[in-house]
Amino acid sequence: MFRFQSLDDDCTLEEEEGLVEEEDEIDQFNDDTFGAGAIDDDWQEEHARLAELDERVQDIVGGGGDTVALPPPAVCVPPPSSLPPPSSLPPPGLEERGGGDFAESLARLILGADPAIAGVGAAGHDRIRLPPPTHSQPPPSTLPGPSHPLLGYQQHQHLLRRGTAPLQMNSHNIWENSMGFGPVSVTPVLGTHMEDSPLMSIIKEVGLPKRPPPIRSEDSRDLSERVPPPRSSSPVIGSPPVRAVPIGTPPKQPMSHVLNQQLHCPTAVHVRAPVQHRYPPPFPERLSPNTLLNIANSPLCRPPFPAGVGPVLSQIQRAQLLNSQVGAFPRGGPAPPLLPGGGGGFRPFFGQPPPRIGPHIPPNHNAIRHNTTHLHPQHRRMLTQRLQSRGDRGGRVGDRRIRDPYSNLMTQREKDWVARIQMMQLQSTDPYLDDYYYQNYYEKMEKRQERDRDSTRKEHTTKLITPQVAKLEHTYRPVQFAGSLGKLTMSSVNNPRKMIDAVVTSRTDDEEKREKQVWNKRRQILYTVEKMYSLLLEVQDFEKKFIQTPEEQREALLEQHKSHTLQLYNTLREREWDERVSDEQCLMIMSVRKGKRLVSRLLPFLPPPQAAAVVMAIARNMPALAKKDKQDQVLCWLVEPVAVVIQSLSSSALTDLLQELQGSEGQLPRVLQNKFGVTLLYLILSEGERMQSSDPNCQLMDDNRWTELVFSVTRELLKVPSSSLSPPLFTPPNLLSLFSRYVDRQRLELLQEKLQISALSR
Amino acid sequence: MNYMPGTASLIEDIDKKHLVLLRDGRTLIGFLRSIDQFANLVLHQTVERIHVGKKYGDIPRGIFIVRGENVVLLGEIDLEKEYDTVLKQVSIEEILEEQRAQQQTKVEAERAKLQALKERGLSIPRPDVLDEY
Repeated sequence: MFRFQSLDDDCTLEEEEGLVEEEDEIDQFNDDTFGAGAIDDDWQEEHARLAELDERVQDIVGGGGDTVALPPPAVCVPPPSSLPPPSSLPPPGLEERGGGDFAESLARLILGADPAIAGVGAAGHDRIRLPPPTHSQPPPSTLPGPSHPLLGYQQHQHLLRRGTAPLQMNSHNIWENSMGFGPVSVTPVLGTHMEDSPLMSIIKEVGLPKRPPPIRSEDSRDLSERVPPPRSSSPVIGSPPVRAVPIGTPPKQPMSHVLNQQLHCPTAVHVRAPVQHRYPPPFPERLSPNTLLNIANSPLCRPPFPAGVGPVLSQIQRAQLLNSQVGAFPRGGPAPPLLPGGGGGFRPFFGQPPPRIGPHIPPNHNAIRHNTTHLHPQHRRMLTQRLQSRGDRGGRVGDRRIRDPYSNLMTQREKDWVARIQMMQLQSTDPYLDDYYYQNYYEKMEKRQERDRDSTRKEHTTKLITPQVAKLEHTYRPVQFAGSLGKLTMSSVNNPRKMIDAVVTSRTDDEEKREKQVWNKRRQILYTVEKMYSLLLEVQDFEKKFIQTPEEQREALLEQHKSHTLQLYNTLREREWDERVSDEQCLMIMSVRKGKRLVSRLLPFLPPPQAAAVVMAIARNMPALAKKDKQDQVLCWLVEPVAVVIQSLSSSALTDLLQELQGSEGQLPRVLQNKFGVTLLYLILSEGERMQSSDPNCQLMDDNRWTELVFSVTRELLKVPSSSLSPPLFTPPNLLSLFSRYVDRQRLELLQEKLQISALSR
Repeated sequence: MNYMPGTASLIEDIDKKHLVLLRDGRTLIGFLRSIDQFANLVLHQTVERIHVGKKYGDIPRGIFIVRGENVVLLGEIDLEKEYDTVLKQVSIEEILEEQRAQQQTKVEAERAKLQALKERGLSIPRPDVLDEY
C-alpha cells in the first residue's frame, strides 16, 4: 500500500516493482492462507461494525433476561471511529412483527452486518423494510448501485480482492462468514428476545449461513475448498504423479444436483424444537450443511419473501427440507419430543436424515450394497433376510433421527470412500486360500439348509466368485542417461532407494549339482578327517595320561588306547574284515592337506603291519597323490614317519613296496616328478642297500625281484630327463653303493651325475 | 444402509451417540460425526465423563478429534437406557475433587506397598518404566 518515493529512478522503479510484486505476492499468500477475506482493514472494520451492531441490538432487547447462559461475546469491542454511530435503533420494527417476519428481518439485519452492507445499514432498520433492488445508502466503498444486498456485497468483495483467482472466492466466503456472522455476535441479541423462537435458538446455536455462492462457479470453488492451494512441483521421475488433490483427501461434496433440487422446491418450513445448549459451536460452517443452507437460502436471492416464510434455514429446517425431498412433506408437525437434557448438556438427539439426498429413497433402503462387498452367496442371502426382518421390526427409531442438525456431516460419498478403502483389504485373488474357513462354513451351511429344506433336490453349492485382482507390475526402472556411468537414483515412495545392487548369477541345475557334489564330498572328507583327528589326539595323549593315571586304571586306559588306534585304522580300511587299506579312503583323506598331516601323525602309532599297509597304499597311489600335491610341502611331512616305517619293513615287504611304487607303466616317472616320490624311492633303495650291506643273509636277493626292480629303477632314472626329476629332500648316502652293485661303471657315472650322488656322503 | 455386511464398520455408527474409552483412561461421550480408514473419530458435543465410585461428572469439551490408535473401545449409547443408571451425576467440581481423592488414596497405597516390599528386599518396577507390552 505504500510506495517508496526514491530519487533514483531506476531504484524507484525496481523497488516499486519489487514492492508491488511483493505486495501482490503477499496478498496472494495471504489469500491463500486466509482466504481473500482476510484483509486487515476490512476485517477490523467489519468486526467493529458487528460489535456495534451487537451493541445496538442489545439495546433493543434491553433488559430481557438472558436466560440462556451464553458466554459473553468476545467481540464487544468499542466501535472504531470510522463507523458512523448508528443513528437509529433497529426497530421497533422488529418488535412489531410476528415470529416469521421477525426472523426474516433479523436475518436480513444479520446479513446486513456484512461490511458492504453495514455501511448501508447503519440504519439497519431501513434495510429490513427494504425493497431490495436499490439501497438508499450506497455502501461506503462505492459500489455501483447493487441490485441486491447480497450481490452488491459480492461486488464489493470483488473490488476488495485484488486479482485473486476466482478460486479464492469460496475460501473468502468461509472466512468472511466466520468473521461476519459469528453466532456470538448475533445470538445474544436474538436469543434473549426470542428464546422461544426455535429459529432464533437455532441461529444462536448454529450461527448464520455464509453468503449463498454465486451460482456459476460452483464446482471450481467447491474443489478449492477441499484442495490446498496448488503447489508448484515439477514431476519427479519415478515419483507418483503430482496430484491436484492429495491422495488422502476425502471426496468432494456433490453439490450440483443437490442445488438443483433444492431450488425447485422452496418450502414453507417451520422451525421447531427450542434448543437448550451451552456451547455454541464456534464455526458452524461446514461444507455440507452450509452448502445446503446456502442452497436453501437461494430463495433469498429472490425478491420479497412471502410472509411467513423463514428466510434462514436452520439446520433443522434443512433437515426438514431434506425430508420433504424424500417425500414426507410437509413434516411441519408437532415438535419432536424433547429428550430430557439429562447428562451433560447434550442437545436432544435428533437423529440423522436419510443419508441420500435426492430421489426418494426406496423403502428398502437397507439393502446391501452390492458393489462393495464380495460375500459368499449364502452369506448374502442370510444377511438380506436378517435385514429384512429387522427392517420390518424397527421403524420407530427412524422417526427420532430426523432432526439432528449436525447429521450428515459425513456425506455419502465419504462413507463410500471409507468403506471402499476398508473393502480393498478384503480383496483377494484366491478366496479359498485367504479365507478358507469362511468359504467352507458357508458352503456347509448351504448344504445343510438344502438338505433340511429339500432333500431331493441337489443343487450345486454356490461358490463365491470374486473378481480377480490383477497384480500390477510396479517395477521401477531406474533412469539412466546414455553414456553415463551408473544409474540415477530417484527414490520416491514407490521405489525406495536400492542399497545393494545385487545381481543374481543364474547357474544351471547341472552345474549346481556338480558343484554341490564336489563340496559335499569335500565336506565329508573333512568331517572324517576331523573325527580321526580327535581320535588321534587321544592316542597321542595316551602317554601322558598313562603316566598320570593310577595303576588300576591303566589297564582300562590301555584298552582304550588300543581301541582308538584300531578305530583309526579302521577308517582307513576298505572293509571291515579286509586288512588292506582302502585306496579310496586313503586317497580321500590324503587329498586334503589335513588328511596328509593326519596320516603322518598317525603312522607312528599304528602297529607295524598296519603302518606298512598304509605306506604301501601311499606308494601305490603315489601318482595320484603327487598330482594332488603340486606343492610338495605337505607330502613331505610324511617322509619321516614313512622312513621310520620303511626301516622297520622286512625285505619282502620292502620289495613289495618298491614294486608298488613302480606300479604300472609310467608310474615311476610321475613319481619321480614329485619330491616326495623321489625321496620315497631313495628311502626304499637306501633301505634295501642297508639291508643288503648290513646283513649278508638278508633275503632281499632271494628272488630276483629286488634286483629287477632296482634295474628298472635305474633305467628309469637314466631315462627320465633331468628337468622332470625333482630333487629329493635328502639323498641317502648309500645310494651310490647300491647303484654300484647293479649298474656298470658308465651308467653309474651318469647316474651319479644326474642324481648328484657323490661318493662322499652328506 | 448396510455398507459392509459381514464386517464390522463404524459407518453405521455415524451420527449416533457413542461412548469412547481412550487409552489414557478418559471416557468421552459424543456424537460420532466422521471417521476415516484409521478409525480416527470426530466426536461432536463431546463430554468427558469422570467416574468415581457411584458418582460421575461431565465436563463438556466440544469437538474432539481422536486419533484411531488411542481408542480402546467405543460403543453406541442406547438413548433410552442412557438415563436409567444407578450412577449419580454430580457437579464437575465435586467429581474432580473425588477423583483427586481417589488418586491420592491410590498413590498412598502404592507407596505403602512399595515400602513394604522394599523392607522385604523385593522391588517391583514402576509401571511407567516398564515396556507397554
